[in-house]
Order: sequence, then C-alpha cells, then structure tokens
Amino acid sequence: MSAQNAEPSLKPPPKMAGMRTVLQYTGIPPSWLDKRPKLPSRNWLIFLSVTSTILGYGVYDRRECRRIQQEYIEKVQELSEGPLQPLEENRKVTVYGAKWPGDEDHQQALKYFRKYVKPILVAAAVDFDMYSGKYLGDITKRVAEDIRLRRRLEAGIDDDSEHKKLLPTYKPLSERKRAELEGGIVLIGRPTLKEYMAGLKQGWTNGLEKVEPEDVLAREFDEDHHFDEVDDDLPTQPEKPSYSPIFTMTSQAMQQKRTTSADTTGSDVPPPSTIPQLPPILLVPFSNRIGFTQIPLMIWDWFNKRHLVQSGSEAAYRLVLANTRPINVPEQPTTEFVDAETPSEPQGGITPPRQEMGDLDFDLSSEAVIKKSLNKLPAEVEESRRKYYEKLPERLATARALSRGTREPTKDEIANPPPTEVELRAERMKKELAWRRDVVGWNTVKPGAPVTWDERFREAIRIFIDPSEQ
Amino acid sequence: MSFLGGRSNANTGSVNYDKIDMAVTELDTVTDFFNRMVSSCYNKCIGAKYPADGDLNKGESVCIDKCVAKYNDVQKKVGEKLQSRGAAAPAQNQSAFGSL
Repeated sequence: MSAQNAEPSLKPPPKMAGMRTVLQYTGIPPSWLDKRPKLPSRNWLIFLSVTSTILGYGVYDRRECRRIQQEYIEKVQELSEGPLQPLEENRKVTVYGAKWPGDEDHQQALKYFRKYVKPILVAAAVDFDMYSGKYLGDITKRVAEDIRLRRRLEAGIDDDSEHKKLLPTYKPLSERKRAELEGGIVLIGRPTLKEYMAGLKQGWTNGLEKVEPEDVLAREFDEDHHFDEVDDDLPTQPEKPSYSPIFTMTSQAMQQKRTTSADTTGSDVPPPSTIPQLPPILLVPFSNRIGFTQIPLMIWDWFNKRHLVQSGSEAAYRLVLANTRPINVPEQPTTEFVDAETPSEPQGGITPPRQEMGDLDFDLSSEAVIKKSLNKLPAEVEESRRKYYEKLPERLATARALSRGTREPTKDEIANPPPTEVELRAERMKKELAWRRDVVGWNTVKPGAPVTWDERFREAIRIFIDPSEQ
Repeated sequence: MSFLGGRSNANTGSVNYDKIDMAVTELDTVTDFFNRMVSSCYNKCIGAKYPADGDLNKGESVCIDKCVAKYNDVQKKVGEKLQSRGAAAPAQNQSAFGSL
C-alpha cells in the first residue's frame, strides 16, 4: 500500500482496500489486482452476443419443452395407477398417419406422434395401434376395407373363424365395438383427415363384395387395342385382342375364369342410410416442411419446438380426458361440396382456403406448406403414360417375332433377352395400377380438394374437445 | 400294444430317438425364450421401482403388452434372417462339394 502512495498516476485505479488486502496473499498476480475491469473489444462483443443469443434461445426452448411435457405428464399420471387383470385390456386408440405429399419418408406423421403425443398417452396407460400410409391414398384404402369387413360381419355374411373363437383373448363383435367406441381414432395432419373421410365415405357407400383392382383394370384392358395384332399378311381382325400361341387361353376363357373366382356375395346389399356411431376422432395438427426454400423456416422451427410440444400434449390430454361433442359442419346449400372427386375449382390453380366447413377446416393453414410442383402430378402421369404407349408397339412386335420364331434373336437379344408378351402385359398392368393409384391419391389430398363429407356422418362422428370448452 | 418283428422295432426306436431329441431342443428353446422375455420386460417396465403392491397397474400392464409384442416380433425377424442365411449357406457348401 505504501508503494501505491509513492507512485503518482493520472487515474488511480479504483480498488476496494478490503478486497485487495484479502486477495493479495492468494497467489493472484498483483498486477491483476490493480487493473480496472473493462469490456472486451467490439468484435468480441459482437461474437459473444450473437453466440449467446442463439445458444440461450435454444437452451430456453428445450427447457420449456421438457417443462411443458412434464406438466402434462403429471396431470395425467394418476390415470395409470389402478389394477388391471392380466387378460384385461385397457383403452386402445387407433392412430393413422398418412404420407405427407411430397415427402419420400412416409413415417413423418407417425414420428411426430411418437415424439409429441405418445409420452402423454404412455403416462396415462392408453394403448395405441399405429398405421402409416405408405403412399397417397393408403389410409383411404385401409379404412374402406376395414369398414367393408365390419359391415360383412354385422350383416352376418362373414363370421369369425372357429380358431379365433377358441383363443382365450377372443372378444365377440359387440365387445370389440364397445372397446372401439371407448377408444378413439387419432388423425395426424390434414392429409390424414382427408384420406380418412374419403375412406369412410367409400366404405359406407360401396357394396360388400370384394373388388380386386387388377380384375377391374383387366376388364378395361380387354376393350383396349394396345395388344392387338398388327399383321399385314393376315386379314385384320378388328376388335379381338389375341394372345401369342404359347398362351393357349382365349380371352373369353380368361373372362370366365375371372368372374367365377370373384366372390360376389354381398353385392346386393344396399349401402345403409344411417351410419352407427363411429369412434370419436382426435385431430392433431401437423405440418411437414419440404423443399430447399423452406430451410430457413425449418431452422426457425428447430428453435421453436415448444409450440409443437404444447400442441401435441394438448391433443393427447384431450384424448385422455375423453370429452367429446358431435362434429360441427355447417349445412351446405349445394351438392357440390358433397362430391370430393371432382372439385368445382379449376385444376392446376391454387385455390384460397375456404373457411366455411367448420370442423372440416382443421389445420387448413398447413396446406400452404405443400410443394406447388406436385400440382403437376396428373400431367406428369399423362406424359409418362403417353410415352409408354408410344414405345409399346415396337417392344410388342419384338416379343411376338422372337416368340413365333419369325426371326432369330440378335447377339444383344441373347445377352439381354427382351421381355416376352406375358411380361409386357404384366408390366403394363403394374404401371397402370401405379399411375391410377397415384392420381387418385393426389386428388384426394391436394390443397384445393375439399374434405369428403356425407350427411350420414353428421350423427355418427364425434370430436375430442378441450375440457374448458364444455 | 403288440410288437412287430425285432427289426421293425429297432427302426421305430431310432426314429423315436430323433424325434425325442427334436422335442427336447424345442422345449429348451421355448423355455429359454420365455425366461429371457420375462426378465427383459420386467426390467424395462417395472425395473427398480419399489413395488407398491402385488397387482399390476394399468401403465405397467400396457407396457408389458407392448414389450411382449415387440419381443415376439424381434424373435420372429431374427429367426427369419437366420433361416435365410442357413438356407443360403448349405447351398454354397453343396456346390463346393459338387465341384470336387
């Protein structure tokens, strides 16, 4: 301290005498004790503030996520404490997650469910069955098929097999129905809602017989001329597609085989005019950003996962408490909204979202995220179809020439044998099935398409609601 | 039961021993599978918690349901993969013998 008084300085460094006396023996270099604290340089300040903002926001977001999830789990935990006999089953819900249009990964909807909705359901001991839609329209097909089989069971046409009845866990149909009504259906995202409603309508409107799509297409192809004989020597036979000599079945024989093998029981049962009560529906908002231009928004979303946790947990909480109300869809004056297959808006243009359909407008804003380039899908399918049928005659001619022995195969053809006529037919069937499936699926789910609605659903469908809404 | 000639008795005896061996192996496999499943699912679903009472509550019951289903699925898948490997390997061995 005496050394300090002897040295004159322009600005004596402010120091607390007490602190200095305490610290001077601790081993800290003495020059440090005299220095005046100052801010780091401008560049350091910029760097530190930017880094700590980003880091801090991320950390805050994740902590909020954990807190919100823990809060909802605690609200729901008590429901899982209660005895359950070994062969008894607790409440079970069915989860549908359709493929988001434009996404190659069809599991994204179910991943959202597993991450944000499932923890609350697990805490509440609610069981679930997850079904993913592997292509656009998969959920529609699955739901329609399930309804058809259920209608057959109820009409008495089908019955559970004897083996099933002998299982200790067998539950008769009435019990299964009751369990389903107590359970519920979870739909993740608006495309799933559209596919589900389309499937419901198909299931409750179509007949009860089993319809093989391949048979339907094959009947259509019989009228087609693509596989006709083109022969200059023989007199042309106008409307009869003929098979190569290797294949001895005639087309009439094939048709007969098809009709006898198809099971037409139940085709005379008319669709019911009232639909029985369906399990209540939980609508879970979900959107999936696809594309390069969405990347900044994807990064912003990564910093804001707490909103997803909040909406997912809320949805799960609604499901667990099981308060329902009938679906609310305002009466439509015209019939154009009932038929979803042919929307009245112009194709290809982006129609603004309508706000009049009540509950069916669920998550309308998520459709803005669907890639606009997908609108070209029907046109692209037409293009590939045209190109395929252009190339088909020459491949067919090669196949027929090689099989009938009218010419010898070239060296290339011995090395890579070209497809035979049977293979060509099979390939055409496969392609047509895939094209039609894609187009139908897209038309169900595209942003302009309205959600299928049928007046019979008004009494049958219920929605899970927040407890506060009651 | 009337016994046939001595020779046929020996024949039926040798086949019986094979079948008995197969049955014993199968019983061992199934018992081992069951024991492992029970211990694995117990550790996952009930684990180190102090048991409050002897009955399974709903959460644990649902967890065990799922655990058993998963274990079954895994065992089936692994079995299928092993079988396809096993089917491929003897085919290769046979071709080696055939070339000799």
